[in-house]
Amino acid sequence: MRTMIKHLWSDTLAKRLFILMWVALVGSHLVAYTVAHGGSPPANGAAGAPPPGLPPLPSLPPMDLGGEPGPGGPPMGAPPPGPPPDGAPGGSAGGSGGPTLWLDYLTRAFVIALFAAFGARWLARPMRRLSAASRDLGETLARGAVPAEIDEAQGTVEVRQTAVVFNDMARRLHRQFDARGLVMASLSHDLRTPMTRLRMRLEMREDDAAGERVTQRCIADLREMDALIDGLLDALRDERAPEPRQPLDVHALVQALADDLAEQGHLIGVSGEPIVASAAPVALRRVLSNLLGNALRYAGQAQVEVRADGASVVVVIDDTGPGIPADQLEAVFEPFVRVETSRHRSSGGTGLGLHIARELTQRHGGQLTLANRAEGGLRATLRLPRD
Amino acid sequence: MPRCLIVDDDAEIRALVADYLHRFGFSVLAVGDAAGLRVALQREPFEVLLLDLMLPDASGLELCRWLRKAHPMLPVLMLTAQGDPISRVLGLELGADDYIAKPFEPRELVARINAVLRRAGAARTTPATTGSVRFAGWLLDDTLRQLSSPDGVLVPLSNAEYRLLKAFTDHPGQVLGRERLLELTRSPGSAGGDTADRAIDLAVSRLRQKLGQGELIRTLRGSGYQFTAEVSR
Repeated sequence: MRTMIKHLWSDTLAKRLFILMWVALVGSHLVAYTVAHGGSPPANGAAGAPPPGLPPLPSLPPMDLGGEPGPGGPPMGAPPPGPPPDGAPGGSAGGSGGPTLWLDYLTRAFVIALFAAFGARWLARPMRRLSAASRDLGETLARGAVPAEIDEAQGTVEVRQTAVVFNDMARRLHRQFDARGLVMASLSHDLRTPMTRLRMRLEMREDDAAGERVTQRCIADLREMDALIDGLLDALRDERAPEPRQPLDVHALVQALADDLAEQGHLIGVSGEPIVASAAPVALRRVLSNLLGNALRYAGQAQVEVRADGASVVVVIDDTGPGIPADQLEAVFEPFVRVETSRHRSSGGTGLGLHIARELTQRHGGQLTLANRAEGGLRATLRLPRD
Repeated sequence: MPRCLIVDDDAEIRALVADYLHRFGFSVLAVGDAAGLRVALQREPFEVLLLDLMLPDASGLELCRWLRKAHPMLPVLMLTAQGDPISRVLGLELGADDYIAKPFEPRELVARINAVLRRAGAARTTPATTGSVRFAGWLLDDTLRQLSSPDGVLVPLSNAEYRLLKAFTDHPGQVLGRERLLELTRSPGSAGGDTADRAIDLAVSRLRQKLGQGELIRTLRGSGYQFTAEVSR
């Protein structure tokens, strides 16, 4: 019983709907009557003027349309609630059957429509707050920020309950996103500790020539593992806090990466002119070094061209490797998908490089596509907006 | 024999690094946590400290701050498995003298320790190597290893170009012979030799292209190169 009473008092959708309909109907009756009958209050309303600001009594019977004007002649009480409709005929219209009836109906229709329009918004407002919050949730979580909570003490009971559930869900999701970042961070830390030990041990081995070759390969493997961890961390970091873009010479970046690889004995040709674009330096470096690394892995060399194309800057990386079967040109962007027919596991690689490259590219407003070249080999085309 | 203190929570890394450094003539003491570090520093002086960023009983960054106050003359080389630019910047800002990411190249570790010792040996009269350097409107950010042009465009540098520019800005106005430049810019851990030679020649011409206007790097026939711009920190 008490809960029922409490329920009656609280702000529920049902109650809002009830109040809305009641006020709309009663209000429309009253206004229509006032308009149609020259603003004179109804007979039983004349006894005591209704207190201003309160809705009229619900017991108002619709007056007989042909009835005499109210007793007491000119209206004396408080003015009827609601704005006096413009162009309302003053008193004289009362009693003249047809037009009064139509005026009455039209006014009712109009007033009900008005109430319905405002009321619908009033009903929907708490729901809209909820949907706006859900829309923001995804973006907030992606940035790694704490999602904003919905006010649990506002709106109807249904919405408040939903808000409680929603806030709880948002908190849990945030914890999970956080945990994912933590897992990655601690995983990389825990991997790098044994890798450091391994690297030190390899350095302290005393080898014959054959053993030395094995050692060198192990060191190369370790470097690759380290680069992979770096790549994953870069991608994760960028997802959580996208790197701000700044003007950057794309040609100089490609040239610098190529020179670094040349220092390690790899062959990469670079052509093009200095081109400034607004880009995220770390992300773009990651994308390009993944693409160059792929070309070197499968073809042993690469040719890069940097050029402006309208509002974009285009980086084309050509290699002379085996290419990718046409039906798998898109699939290789999926994580851990590798083209096993032409690209053997022995060629190394993790199946994440292209995925990360495309993720980062798209997140910064660019496009990354692959195509087989007519003369053999693969062409990777990176297109970035210049500003 | 330089005395080196290692703080790392991984016992095997401590032992391996200690062994390795011993070969290069260091006398090494290794401890596993911040408490051990404090005790060791009270007992005897050290010339250099290798500090892991993640310790069981303290954050390496806080320790670094404390060290700057308590032992301002002790050079700190930070070791960490978090190789991201943020921790790098943080570490250097909090007073580490250098920063090396795990897993490091052992030879590079030795080279960095020696570099830190050289700087400390010069009684810190040589300017700090960290921070930003300005010349002729250009900005070289040492911690992020980024070069920005006078109109604010980021001009990425290769490793060789960065080392070269660093050598030039550390010795403005001086004539640097080829041999000296090679010595200053040799990539730690690299074998050196022909590839290094070629890399430097390439880096000089590339840097000239990138710096463009004026003659910031002057060639003095027969004696080497001179960085002509005024350098401010």
